[in-house]
Amino acid sequence: MKLSDKVYISSQAMARTVGDETVILDLASGTYFGLDPVGARMWQLMTDGQTLAAICDTLLDEYEVTRETLEGDILRLTEELRAKGLVSLA
Amino acid sequence: MTVRYTEQPERPLAPVGEAAFHQWVFPDGTLWTQFFRQGAGYLLRFPELADFEVSADGCTVQGFPAPGVSSPTVEHLYLNQVMPLALSRQGKLVLHGSAVDIGGQGVAFLGESGRGKSTLAASFATEGTRFLTDDGLLLEWLDDRCMILPSHPSIRLWEDSQDALVSERTAMAPAVSFTSKSRFLAGPGIAFCDEARPLRRLFFLGEGEVETPTIEPLRPAEALIELVKHSFLLDIEARDMLARHFDALTRMAGLPFYFRLDYPRRYNALAAVREAVIRHALEQKESIEHEVV
Repeated sequence: MKLSDKVYISSQAMARTVGDETVILDLASGTYFGLDPVGARMWQLMTDGQTLAAICDTLLDEYEVTRETLEGDILRLTEELRAKGLVSLA
Repeated sequence: MTVRYTEQPERPLAPVGEAAFHQWVFPDGTLWTQFFRQGAGYLLRFPELADFEVSADGCTVQGFPAPGVSSPTVEHLYLNQVMPLALSRQGKLVLHGSAVDIGGQGVAFLGESGRGKSTLAASFATEGTRFLTDDGLLLEWLDDRCMILPSHPSIRLWEDSQDALVSERTAMAPAVSFTSKSRFLAGPGIAFCDEARPLRRLFFLGEGEVETPTIEPLRPAEALIELVKHSFLLDIEARDMLARHFDALTRMAGLPFYFRLDYPRRYNALAAVREAVIRHALEQKESIEHEVV
């Protein structure tokens, strides 16, 4: 996985936002995945088909966080979502 | 209720050609319900008990008892399992829960089988607080209010709950053969509310590993996940239905009244639970009235 990768949301993922969090329903397994407010914002940017680097740039403007920490967080969440089949990368 | 139900003569539960597209299994691995497609509609099978044929639109259901299974058993399965599923196919929202009327407001209790939904509702009803449903919580939006519709005026209880809560004078519906639960009809000893009530509190029942009643608020996202887990949905593969269902639950999850209620599962603790729930529900009512003023 590289920061230049684009993220694509899988057709097996159905997401809804409630409050400032997001709940993703995994249609393949019937399980649910909750995202906290920062994760929910990442997911929203992923649905726009942006690269991980572009998502990182956007979030750097919105949160007080170092680029290093944010890149680590984005890669970790993306890997978790990819492992569940909820997103793919290209 | 807007489901037409007829019971047909008994028939053997013949093998079905295609595999079930969904099934419900008890925690111990026992198969409870199989969901098959049948033409455009559905066949719901409760092994060794009954088949139910549900039309594609969820408006018509026919029940077929397995040989030797009594009519009350089949009717009971219909009311508690099949009718909520058929209603979900019509786009209605039905949750696994009981509800009571506290000061004109609907207070609901959601939880898996065995968590004490019916016992709690019965505990209120035998003390004069009217119940709206003991299982199969049917909700409908009326303008911007989420209303609880009253269901069948009976409560099903396990034997130990019956002994603790219900007097011997209370009318009992015909016994059903697949559980040791009995159904008690609403009457002088069990108060029933036959009018819709606005939902004002929804409690998810905890596991009972506490010494005194506890009530903790849930975040909307936590509430949404719990609502999804506790809702009836007949066709989990119909993506459009699933999307609408998820939307309906998301709208509900945005309401500000979800809590986790836990309490020790002892009958002599129920009075304290009722008191805590009533106090909690009425506190909120007062604060809302205060804001309106």
